[in-house]
Amino acid sequence: MMDDDAVTRALNDARALLDTLLASGWQDMHAVSGRTEIFIARTGGRANPLRRQAVVAEVPVTVDGPQTAIATEHVSTLVDVLSVGTPVVAGQKVATVRVLEEEMALLSPVVGRVAASPVQPGTLVEFGTTILSIAEAA
Amino acid sequence: MAIKRLFIANRGEIALRIVRAAQALNIETVVAVSDPDRDGAAARLADRAIVIGPASAAKSYLDPRLIVHAAKESGCDGLHPGYGFLSERAILPRLCADHGIAFVGPEPDVIDALGDKLRARAMASAAGVPLVPGSDCVATAADARREGDRIGYPVLLKASAGGGGRGMVIANNADEAEAGFHRASAEAIAAFGDGTLFMERFVPEARHVEVQLMGDGKGKVLHFGERDCSVQRRYQKLVEEAPCAAMPDPLREQLHASAVALAASVHYRNAGTCEFLFDVKRQEFYFIEVNARIQVEHPVSEMIAGFDLVQEQIRIAGGAPLSVAQDEVKLSGHAIECRINAEDVGRDFLPSPGRITRWQPPEGEGIRLDSHMAEGAMIPPFYDSMVGKLIVHGKDRADAIAKLSAALDGFVVEGVPTTIELHRAIVAHPDFVENRIHTRWLEQVLLPERAKRVA
Repeated sequence: MMDDDAVTRALNDARALLDTLLASGWQDMHAVSGRTEIFIARTGGRANPLRRQAVVAEVPVTVDGPQTAIATEHVSTLVDVLSVGTPVVAGQKVATVRVLEEEMALLSPVVGRVAASPVQPGTLVEFGTTILSIAEAA
Repeated sequence: MAIKRLFIANRGEIALRIVRAAQALNIETVVAVSDPDRDGAAARLADRAIVIGPASAAKSYLDPRLIVHAAKESGCDGLHPGYGFLSERAILPRLCADHGIAFVGPEPDVIDALGDKLRARAMASAAGVPLVPGSDCVATAADARREGDRIGYPVLLKASAGGGGRGMVIANNADEAEAGFHRASAEAIAAFGDGTLFMERFVPEARHVEVQLMGDGKGKVLHFGERDCSVQRRYQKLVEEAPCAAMPDPLREQLHASAVALAASVHYRNAGTCEFLFDVKRQEFYFIEVNARIQVEHPVSEMIAGFDLVQEQIRIAGGAPLSVAQDEVKLSGHAIECRINAEDVGRDFLPSPGRITRWQPPEGEGIRLDSHMAEGAMIPPFYDSMVGKLIVHGKDRADAIAKLSAALDGFVVEGVPTTIELHRAIVAHPDFVENRIHTRWLEQVLLPERAKRVA
């Protein structure tokens, strides 16, 4: 549940994003700010990644430890990423990113289960973007 | 094919300058930013900003693979490197070419050739451009002694791969040449990974003059007059003006012709600058190097020519021919630029990053400010400390100095120390007003005078 301030912020963010989308030539926009995530698309824009998350989020995560976010260290394109619910061990490859023709593996530093993977393969991901979160084994 | 979406691989005032030039041409813009620059003025004005890496320039603005990847994946068909960073690294245009992106600059082979000072000197010589008496490659201290004796002292030992004053030593006699060889070579290895040196005659009280060029890549090259950049500290320019008021017209014509001949001989494409040393006493000029990029001080040439060089760069990179002929380039009046840095002059020009709490720039006819700063803006500690360039244009040098003096007096910046007060002192100094300056004037005359007054 969001409090009133959070709802207001989310609505303001959504309005600002809508204005930006309408003023640009882009087909869709996907913004993540704190706990708020907004996706807006024109007809013909890509599929709503939040819908995919909402569906996969129904897979119960059976671990209760803290979450570890795995973020990009530089701009890159996401090639593949484990889906929500996948169990992982420390050192396991959880995602692949690409810079030009060179692919690089992202490894899990912890044991646990993928709790969120908000970015779709094929997306250009900026520095610092969280590609997936791992709920650590308790 | 005309560029439709331009990627800007730079930051600060030049990124903003390029965004504005592209927008004037109805070209979409995507600007690369490091993490601390994500809220900068260029990022806000551009159609899109992409955070390519962390604060470290090595992991963001200096990584050509990240730059080209972001450009390609964001659908850009052109890339402007600005100045500094990767602007003169041939790998950037090579990667651009590999991925179908038009590079706003020269061909990579030309960048490579001109970036090597020894090769550049050979090219200049072949094009009939006067060279300062000097040597070929100097490999040992004994070579340095022998070449120094032949050229005549004082001599300058310079790094072949160098720039910005690093790997440069002045020697007044044979012993100093030998000792200087070891020092310059060590500096060159540390700075550039290459200790190769060459030597040339050192001209005391020389002026630094340079010719603004624009080539179509097919052998046609225009010049936009010359600039005098003699007010320097540690080989870094502080004040630049156009034209060089100390140069007589016949010599000026030779200077322009030499620069154009060199650039035409390599089928130079896009903007470049041919730098010369002007020996006022001998009334001779000597080739220094070609800078294969747009330069910080390009606005003074734009002001006297009434011509937007950055827009022309973008047009040429998109395949357009030069938009003017040489006889259509009309130079008029006099322009002066001051580079305003966030530095504490009283503490040996210590860079002083921080937040601008008050920003009140001067305005008026003939006054231009190229800056990415505003009240509340942050100057991060990771990059150069330039906060802007104040440029004035007057009907002649005296008029430009009067305008500049008034503009500097009205320029208020608070929150960080700046070099504005130093610029006021430069512009008010009788040597500057009477045009008796040279490349070491600031360090030999003005700064010692100020130090004495403080003591």
